Formats: sequence, C-alpha cells, structure tokens
Amino acid sequence: MSADSLQRATLAKLADVLIPGSGKMPAASSAGVAGELLNRCLSAAPSLEEPLLALLEAAERCEHSAFARDLATRSPEDFAVLSTVVVGAYYLSEQVRDLIGYPGQVPSPLSIAGEPEYLPMLERVYERHEGYRSAE
Amino acid sequence: MLPIQRRSERRFESADVAVVGAGASGSVVSARLAEKGFRVVCIEQGGWSTPADYLSDQPEAELAWVERWNPDPNIRRGTADYPLTGDAEVRPVMFNGVGGGLVQWAAMWQPMLPSDFRTKTLDGVGEDWPISWRDLAGCYNRVARDMSVSGLVGDPALPELSYPNPPMPIGKIGMAAARGMDELGWHWWPGANAIASRRHGHLQACQRRGTCMTGCPENAKATPSLTHWPKALSDGVQLITEARAREIPLDSQGRARGVVYFDKEGMERLQPAQVVVLAANAVGSARLLLLSSSGRFPDGLANSTGLVGRRLMQHPYQTVVAVLADDLESWQGPWGQSIYSLEFAETRPECDFVRGAKWMVMPHGGPMFAVGEHQAAHGDLGFDGLWGEAFHRAVENIFGHSFTWGIQTEDLPEDHNRVVLDPEVTDSSGLPAARVEYELSENTRSMLSFNVSRAVEAAEAAGATETIVSGVWPTGIGHVLGTTPMGDDPDSSVVDRWCRTHDVSNLYVVDGGVFPSGGSANPTATILANALRVADRLIATRRQQEAAAA
Repeated sequence: MSADSLQRATLAKLADVLIPGSGKMPAASSAGVAGELLNRCLSAAPSLEEPLLALLEAAERCEHSAFARDLATRSPEDFAVLSTVVVGAYYLSEQVRDLIGYPGQVPSPLSIAGEPEYLPMLERVYERHEGYRSAE
Repeated sequence: MLPIQRRSERRFESADVAVVGAGASGSVVSARLAEKGFRVVCIEQGGWSTPADYLSDQPEAELAWVERWNPDPNIRRGTADYPLTGDAEVRPVMFNGVGGGLVQWAAMWQPMLPSDFRTKTLDGVGEDWPISWRDLAGCYNRVARDMSVSGLVGDPALPELSYPNPPMPIGKIGMAAARGMDELGWHWWPGANAIASRRHGHLQACQRRGTCMTGCPENAKATPSLTHWPKALSDGVQLITEARAREIPLDSQGRARGVVYFDKEGMERLQPAQVVVLAANAVGSARLLLLSSSGRFPDGLANSTGLVGRRLMQHPYQTVVAVLADDLESWQGPWGQSIYSLEFAETRPECDFVRGAKWMVMPHGGPMFAVGEHQAAHGDLGFDGLWGEAFHRAVENIFGHSFTWGIQTEDLPEDHNRVVLDPEVTDSSGLPAARVEYELSENTRSMLSFNVSRAVEAAEAAGATETIVSGVWPTGIGHVLGTTPMGDDPDSSVVDRWCRTHDVSNLYVVDGGVFPSGGSANPTATILANALRVADRLIATRRQQEAAAA
C-alpha cells in the first residue's frame, strides 16, 4: 500500500463522514481504517488501491463531507470504492467486532446428535402436503 | 495476454475421449469413463484452487468477495476468465478452473421436480425433456453419495431420494423461518446440501464458517477437486490445465477430430480424440461451438437448427431479508440452504403466470454483507439515510438478527435470450468474448412479484419487524442453462436424449446447456446426475460409437 500520510489523513476524514462515532461505536478513523487496517484491506482487494488513491488526491483540498456526498451522487462507482474500503477496513478492527458481538467467520463445530427441535413442525408439513405433481 | 505462438509439431496420442471443462459435468464424465478404462484427456482453461488460495479462514474473508473470489468473471478478471459482454438484464456468473462453479457454489442440493420435465405437456409452456425424472432417479442417488450430500429424506414434495449424511442443523435462522411457514401452513423442509455434516468420503465435517462461496477452507464442501479428481487422476485421466479450447475440428466425414486449444504458453495444439465431450457450461460450450464454424457448419458447429446459444435460462433471483428482534447468529454457516420451500414451485391457477419458484433460507454472512444488502435495497434513502448515524442503526438492527429468503424463479426457454460471439471484444487468447443477450419475460416478472410478496408475508409471520426486498439481481446466481437443448427432434434441439449432437455423431454436450427447460431447483444435482447418465451410456455403447477417421 503506497498511500502517504497526507492521503491517509484525507481518508480518515472521509471515513468519519461515512462512519462517525456513535454511542459505544468508534468513528472509522479511531478504529484505525487509515492505518494498518487499510493495508490489510487493500492487500485482500488490491484493485481498489489505484482508484482509491485517485479519489483521495481529488479530495485533498475539498471539504470532506461535501466531497463524500457529491461523490455518492456524481460517481457511484468511485463512491463504491471509498465505501468498500472504509467499511471493509472498519470491520477488520477487533475492537469493532467485539462491540457488535461478531466473532468472525470462525469454526463452530456442529452437532448432529439428538432429535431436532423442528420435528413437530415438520410432521405438520408431512400431514398437510398433498404430494408432488405427477408427470408420468 | 497470452502470446499466440506457432502451432505445435508434437503429435499427441489420441484419446478415447477429450473432455472440455473440468467443472461439474466434465469431472463426472472424466472420472466415470476413466474408471471403466477409457483414455480420457480433459482440457481446462483454469488451474487448481486449494484452501491455501482462499481467504475464508482469515478476518479478510468478506473482502475476498470484492475481487479475487467474486463470482463475476468481469470483476474477478482472472487469467482463465473470458469477458462477458452485452447489456443483459441478468449477466451470468461462473468460475473457470478445476471444479468450475463448484469451487464457489453454495452447495445447495435440489433435485428437480417430476413436472419440471414436462412443462409443455402439463402447462403448455417451455419444452418437455426427452427423459423423465425416473430416468435420473438412480443417478441422483449415486451423485448424492459421491458428493457427500447431507439432507433429510421424506420430503413429500419430492419423489423418494437418498442422502448419505444426516442433515445439517438448520440453526436459529432456519427455526425462525420455519415458524413463519408453520404459521402460514406452507411447505418447508430442512435443506439438503453437498456439505458433509460428518466426515464422509473425501470431505471433512463442516465447521459452519459460512464462507462456502469464497471457498471452503475446511474441505467440507463438495467440489470436484476433492470428490472426483483424485480418483480420476489415479485412474489415468490426463488433465491439462490453463489450456483454452479454441475449436472442435472435423474430419472429411463431418466427425469431430479432437480439440484445438492454446496451452499455457499460448501454443496452439491439437488433442486428437475419438469422441469429444463439451462440459464448459452453457455459455462456454455454446461459445466453443460458435467458434468452431466451418464450411459444413457456417453458423457454428452442430448448429443446423440455429439454436446453439439460444434459450439461455438463469433463474432470475430476488431476496427478502427478514429482520427480527431475536439473536439469530446470522453470520454462522453453512452458507448453503438452511431450509427450503416448494410451496410456490408449481403452476397455480389463481396466478397470472405459469410455473414457479423455489425458496431457500440463508444466513447473511459478516457485517459487510449484512449492511451491504440493506444499502443496496435502500438507495432511495439518500446519503443521510445510509451513512453516518444511520449506518450504525442499520448494523445494530440487521446484523445477527436477520435471515434471507432467496427467491429463485423458473425462466422459460426463449429464443431471444442467447449467447453470441462478440464482434469486437476478445479474451486474452484473442478469441471473441461471449456476448449475452437476456431479458426477463412478463411471466418471470409476475412470478417474481408474486413470490416476493409471499416471502414478505412469510417473514412477517416469522416475526420480522422489518423486511428488506432486493431488486432482481443484475448478475446471476451461477445457474446457466439452455443454449444447447436436448430433444428427440433434430429440427428443434441441438443434442439428443443421450446428449449427443444431432449434427455430429461423436460430439456430446453434458453441461447445463442441455436443459430444455430449467425448473426452479438449483441445477447442480441434475447436471451431475445427467452427466453420469450420459457417461454410463458411453460406456455401454462404446463398441457402437462412431469416431473420427484415424
């Protein structure tokens, strides 16, 4: 990831327009979306880097809230790049995951032992169904 | 771009059978024929994918969908992919590589209904298949075993089937959805999936990561690189990867001589074969036939009817997300089908459309997916309705508290929905891209509208406090059917009931392209069962099979 400090600062400001702090939830910049999380995000989706850097350069001298709003209206494709990076990096944050109760797509071995809770409902399906449509 | 160099001077040993495509159907045919002693060469334009290639066990799992493991080849742009052009209302998605679409599929296992094979006779629309459900019954059970399917037998909406593994738990999302269906008195059943609920065959037990569609890191989801290729390779199949088929050449008698392809260095080669089997999916096989035009077949190989590429079907799809107050752990997998419903899969006299839809309940994945679905459906809310404080409110409401009803409709075979060669755009080998022309019929629109309304009712009966209704998905769900339809009449079909082309006596097509009509079931079970049926036929009739002149 080749974003310099100015570009990262711009991203942090834009990111906070999309995801500000609210209650227990941190703002995107506080969660670190313009730091290491950005590197990880772009490593997973490298095609986002070039258009992201282009729009960050365009945003540098703009008022960030107005820029983000205008981008969403004027250029949905570019806004999709920005929002994907911001949201993607935000949910890489362990702090954010903990706060929303998300453990990640982690293993959770299943149990197939015992009688399923749904069996009484399934018996009613069986009783009321007329069977499949014959085609012979 | 791969450089196109000179033609190879090396002579390859002739194969009994050359198969184009190592995806779902090509894997079944290659493995089955090799098991019975055929010399099989399989030509695959992509390479191998293994758990080491996936991001599914990383925190970045959701980001895999953005690019590298996106199902749309126009987004993914892998070296094996070819462009899909055109302004189709629904654009096909696919994966090119060993295992094909089954690397990324959700593994939903859904045999078709008996009536799906007789739509013209029963409902006056579409085309009847030249075979019946009964002709596939035994193969459905054999491929279910090969694919380590987990499911619950006894669904009264289907003929009797067998599954080798007990069903997956339906989870909190399935229980919530089932309560809604129970309240309404509608059909539902625990989903069958080609995901192992316990260690079985070549598969490990599912760990419920919910990353099925970006590659299973646990080797618990059935994909041919696990279920078919180890045995096929040990039985002697020669699998040539990173090889793009360019043409099926003919001999002077009009029989297929083999397959011309570009190898990974861009060298053009001929693989001679007695029989050629196309298994490159309904887009890829049609494209290859159209690329193989000649003086004998100026409009494309095996295309005397003009039907090659036509009657593309894709199961147009919408979703209804049910948001509940309950904690549903909705990120938890598997991302197959928790439960399904065939309540509206048949023609209903009170409706203004014919045929029907299959529904299935799925989790929502991680927070990116959950909020993304909300935002895609609510673009009308504007910036302040989607971002800022609204973003946090949406995540709090939806994430972990919702399930999705997927609505998968039967689109009828229509000649104007088709695959053609793009006159300008080419792939990295310089071959014309596939241009897709596809529009929804009024029948499909009415079907979607009716089913979405019913799914909203089902969500509300389940206790939903909010429902999120998507539009018709502009990229498909990986179900590409039609384009080389099967039939007994050579004037109205491309292949016969054994999937041999009417025009070329040693050329077969075995992928979803041969579906004369598509039903509403997820097609993989039927594609695999039919491919096995055709392989058995090739074995049984090997002494009668016509072949190219030596």
